[in-house]
Amino acid sequence: MGKPIFRPAQPSDLDRLVDLNIRLKRLNEEFDPLLKIREDIPEISKKYLSEAMSSPNSIVVVAEDEGRVVGFLKADIKERIFYKPKTEGNIVEFYLLPEYRRKGFGAAFLDYAIDLLRERAEIITAEFPSLNEIATEFYTRLKFRSIISVYARET
Amino acid sequence: MGVEADKHGKIAVSLAPFYGGKLEIVPKIPVRSLDDFSVWYTPGVAAVCRAIRENKELSLQYTGRWNTIGVITNGTRVLGLGDIGPEAAMPVMEGKALIFKYLGGVDAFPLCINADSPEKFVEVVKALEPGLGGVNLEDISSPACFSILDALRDSMDIPVWHDDQLGTASVTLAALTNALKIVDKKLGEVRIVLFGAGAANIATARLLEKAGADLGRLMMVDSRGILHSERYDMDELMLKNPWKYELGLKTNRERLSGDLREALKDADVLIAASVPGPGVIKKEWIREMADDSIVFLLANPVPEMWPREAREAGARIVATGRSDFPNQVNNSLVFPSVFRGALDTRARRITDSMVLAASNALSDYVPPDKLNENYIIPTMDDWEVYVYVAAAVAEQAGREGVARNPLTYDEAYVRAKKTIERSRRILQALMNENLIKPLPKVD
Repeated sequence: MGKPIFRPAQPSDLDRLVDLNIRLKRLNEEFDPLLKIREDIPEISKKYLSEAMSSPNSIVVVAEDEGRVVGFLKADIKERIFYKPKTEGNIVEFYLLPEYRRKGFGAAFLDYAIDLLRERAEIITAEFPSLNEIATEFYTRLKFRSIISVYARET
Repeated sequence: MGVEADKHGKIAVSLAPFYGGKLEIVPKIPVRSLDDFSVWYTPGVAAVCRAIRENKELSLQYTGRWNTIGVITNGTRVLGLGDIGPEAAMPVMEGKALIFKYLGGVDAFPLCINADSPEKFVEVVKALEPGLGGVNLEDISSPACFSILDALRDSMDIPVWHDDQLGTASVTLAALTNALKIVDKKLGEVRIVLFGAGAANIATARLLEKAGADLGRLMMVDSRGILHSERYDMDELMLKNPWKYELGLKTNRERLSGDLREALKDADVLIAASVPGPGVIKKEWIREMADDSIVFLLANPVPEMWPREAREAGARIVATGRSDFPNQVNNSLVFPSVFRGALDTRARRITDSMVLAASNALSDYVPPDKLNENYIIPTMDDWEVYVYVAAAVAEQAGREGVARNPLTYDEAYVRAKKTIERSRRILQALMNENLIKPLPKVD
């Protein structure tokens, strides 16, 4: 295993991306029972990711090692309608296979994505389940802080 | 379950109320009259207390603490019975304490506690430290047992041991070491398959790594198949069983997937510590292992397959946990002696090197001219082996600087031998005097 390289996702990566997205959502489900995944998640992921790859307002990037995709990140360029700075780069999916964690690759991958987003966005946000302590620690260490909270209750 | 186990069970149940317990506390100081209590109790004892107050370490010389361990359980995974609770675990703890005394001369006190979370368990056991010389954890479900053992080993200043983990791992390693000598293969080069990923095999994997095995060539197989770094449940394991998760990252470099059958193709060693058989492992799978394969079938009370079947399928060396087959891998070969050695040196902990020293002593005990396919591990009725292992552990404790009372090998040997023999002589004396009721006539 070497150091992964980072690059934009290609259409040929789609199946692998779907697999990684399902793993990510399963991990979220482990953290929070309110995030139980839907049965049609493979179909939904495929649609979601191919739309993102062809959208001018999203980026999908991958980490690749020895020809295998081992991680992915998806972010959207959004307009903050009331606040400045106006343009936000919102990271909504971020996943690395277990073997590639705790080695500094996550931070490097994030830097790569932020550099791409910085071309259009002036503020970077990252969205993840509140109960995911690993993500909280990761982003806090990289000098992010909480900005908007979402609370939930089943009716 | 088997006719034999039923027979033993019937006897055990009828004798349980007859004896009402397996151990009792017996004084070890003379009492000639009630006047002696002025020394053993107030006012004389206050002077001893004052001395210990000035130097807490003296409690390990002036009281029985030095030779007293707790055999501690919350009853959450007892033998093959599962979560039966602390009260129901007591007969096993008493039996364990009996073995500690009989084979190791260790005063072991069964402690069955209410502790339904690992944090609570750790808190209770840590609170017991001032009165104990050591702790033997027993019959605690996994993965809670991993965090409990790690937390207690790190935070207590007395030896801590979880026999289901460390006992099994060290005896397994000793047997494997000798088996590899016979087939002339090296631990760092063989392909090992561990079938079952509970407390025993997770501890065995960790110990094998410390002994020099190449974990990249080792595969763990559980009920979901071969473990590898991209198996679908790895994230679940990261949160629920980080010890298994870590092994998922370190083992199976090639990321082979599938089940036990795939894993066994061309494997040199199989260590099965999974569910009782027979019929859990098939002969055809053993046949596909490498030449001169080594097969350990450690499930209780019935191994995963009968040893004869494994041999017929081509295994060169076969071991089980049972006394009625050759090569019995039995924890009782180590846990009494490890504590004998650790307690005699007043060790602060049982380190990984001490565990390895015990394992090596156990395998070295079999002389080269006696070593063969049916004799890879000493048998339990060889009395010297307990002394031999105890002395090796004591010596290692001194070498590592964790012994409050360092002993040379010879000193440790003599002390262990005396202590173990004494406990057997006491038992014999009590039996001779009929202070222990003779066994009633049982069919």
